[in-house]
Amino acid sequence: MKQKSISLITIVVLFLVGLFMPFILKQYHLNMLTEIIIFSLYAVSYNLLLGYAGLLSFGHAAFFGLGAFVTAIAIIHIPGISLWNVILIGVAATVVAGLILGGLLLRHKGSYFALLTLAFNALFYAVATKWHSVTGGDDGLSITRPNLALGFTSIPLSSLTTFYYLTLVIMGAAIVYCWYFTNTAMGKTVVLMRENEDRMKFLGYNTNISRLILFTFTGALAGLAGVFYTFHFQFVSISAISPDMTTAILLMVFVGGTKIFWGPILGVFVYVIFQNYLSNVTDRWPLFMGLIFVLMVLYVPGGLSGVIMNIKQRFFGKKNNNGDKTAQAEEVIS
Amino acid sequence: MKKKFVYGLCFLTMVFMLALPVFAVAAEDTIKIGVTEPLSGTFKDIGERYLDGAEYAAQVINESGGLLGKKVEVIRIDSELKPDVATRKAQSLILRDGVKFFCGGTGSSVGAAMEQLAEKQNVIMFTYGMDAASMTGVKCNKNFFRPGGSTDGRSFALAQLIAKMKYKKVAIIAQDYSFGQEALAAFKKELAKISPNTKIVAELYHPAGTKDYGPYVSQIITAKPDVIFTPNWGNDLTLLLKQGRPMGMKQKVFSYYINDEVTIQALNDDKMMIGNMGAEIYTLSIPTKKNEAFVAKFYKDKGYYPTWLRGKAYIATMFWAEAVKKAGTTDVAAVIKAWEGLSYDGPAGVWTMRACDHQAQVPYWYTEIVAKTKYFKHAFEAPRGMASAKSVEVPCAETGCKMK
Repeated sequence: MKQKSISLITIVVLFLVGLFMPFILKQYHLNMLTEIIIFSLYAVSYNLLLGYAGLLSFGHAAFFGLGAFVTAIAIIHIPGISLWNVILIGVAATVVAGLILGGLLLRHKGSYFALLTLAFNALFYAVATKWHSVTGGDDGLSITRPNLALGFTSIPLSSLTTFYYLTLVIMGAAIVYCWYFTNTAMGKTVVLMRENEDRMKFLGYNTNISRLILFTFTGALAGLAGVFYTFHFQFVSISAISPDMTTAILLMVFVGGTKIFWGPILGVFVYVIFQNYLSNVTDRWPLFMGLIFVLMVLYVPGGLSGVIMNIKQRFFGKKNNNGDKTAQAEEVIS
Repeated sequence: MKKKFVYGLCFLTMVFMLALPVFAVAAEDTIKIGVTEPLSGTFKDIGERYLDGAEYAAQVINESGGLLGKKVEVIRIDSELKPDVATRKAQSLILRDGVKFFCGGTGSSVGAAMEQLAEKQNVIMFTYGMDAASMTGVKCNKNFFRPGGSTDGRSFALAQLIAKMKYKKVAIIAQDYSFGQEALAAFKKELAKISPNTKIVAELYHPAGTKDYGPYVSQIITAKPDVIFTPNWGNDLTLLLKQGRPMGMKQKVFSYYINDEVTIQALNDDKMMIGNMGAEIYTLSIPTKKNEAFVAKFYKDKGYYPTWLRGKAYIATMFWAEAVKKAGTTDVAAVIKAWEGLSYDGPAGVWTMRACDHQAQVPYWYTEIVAKTKYFKHAFEAPRGMASAKSVEVPCAETGCKMK
């Protein structure tokens, strides 16, 4: 109980700090921070699959890109559509896609699942590339953010600051909800399923349904991140739905670490900032990003958050984790 | 307690990461221009030659005292030929360094995205090589300029040349996507208008990046045309010639980008190229005093020739500098106003920026590939006259542009 209140205080403090950021940061950094927040939700949703459920998916960008494209298409083809409806349509599309794909894919596990998700991602990518009349193909789609209608007033989102606040509130709420989700019975089921599925089945759980719910849920979250990605750049191209986008999120999550909830967010900070600064220094920044990834996987499998955990362990002698087996074993030993 | 500590550390790390960039060094006061080109990947060679031209223009401006008393600083932006990459990098430059001017020459998809970004962020984007007519047509906006050619202009110029040379049967072949379709549509429209007796005996579309031209070449040969017109570029031009010539496709080829020294070198057989003709807004062989002086100075400075891509980027950048000079300030609204209607008399003749759609009205220079030139050991271009800007003009009302 005490831990929960501490976490709540942390969330409130982070949110308040977020509120003050536009007064401290320059536009350029605020722009970057907005991007970081959006990718954080994408990364957190991916980590629910990878870290919590142990499902390695190479197709998460299909959802992210679907949300992004549906947003752009809705804004272009439905004149005067409100912001809320755009978000609703974007997320609804990914929920439907999640249910269909999940239904088809989740019977398979391990490498089969990973490769099938990759195949579906490639399929989505091919459709986006070839269906020129709808998706714009190579040209992409350009949009203007709709205004934020609050019933009594309408706030224009053209300025970066107002859009930042909207992103902070909605993305922040979604991330907090994810954190809450990991503490619910459903969230615990997911972790237990990863650890011992046979036992769960024996206890009477329908693991296929649980996995489908999780897959759809994380897909919808990625879709929501995709919706905001389009809002943020006011542009969407096939890069958003390409397997490269899955690689990017895999990198962010691994660099941050999959073992604690906040790890992937840390990874996003590192990735986005590196991308912005390395790409100024060299055109070959993905090479350096790749090197960092390889080194992390080889020497720091727990990611940056793992490093922080280790430092903490020196002070407190205990590890905090999301139910990871090895960590639990260490805990028992210590 | 322990959780609090972890969160604290996480948070501190994030703040630290965000604070890092604050230490970036402030740049000196220059007029910055971002050049978006593919500087890595398949089209690196094209991007680098355009960039070279733009950088040379900045060098010439700076040598003669700069622009409004300030130095022009070229910022290289590797677009990777992806619109999202180009706009993201440009957005950063706008927000961080206050860059107000951007240009680029490769990829109409990149151009269209930059065009939108320019309008939203109120900066100026101009292009010298992104040719899709729609960019100064239905997609036009006040922040976008094209001091360069368009598919319409090129097709009109080549149709006129074919009519003038009195060819009666033409085969046309293009890549099956918007660029190729727009190019052939404009060609057919102009030819029907000025030479109704000339027949299109074959009209073929193939996927971009086709490897086997056999079926297309057979159809062309069977149709017995006098000449062939194609807007193909890169490998699609090289392979058409490489596979077509040995099969007996002997006709003269009229093409958009025939005078590319890299294509000619890649073919490695001058006989396939000799006799082909093209129309381009800048060619090395333009027979004017101004061009000869430009080519001589460039060669002296660099040790190689400012072939088409370099020349186009150079002239367009000089034209932009003229507009800034006329405005007397780097204020975007003032530069837009100054550029509209402005004329620039450079190495490729007089270019005039039309206010209604921001499409420069430029003459097109015809070239024919001949065996011997003073420039290269391999076959290269010789001048064959020009189509005046007036003769290839698309009236404002027909462009589809509604300037806000």
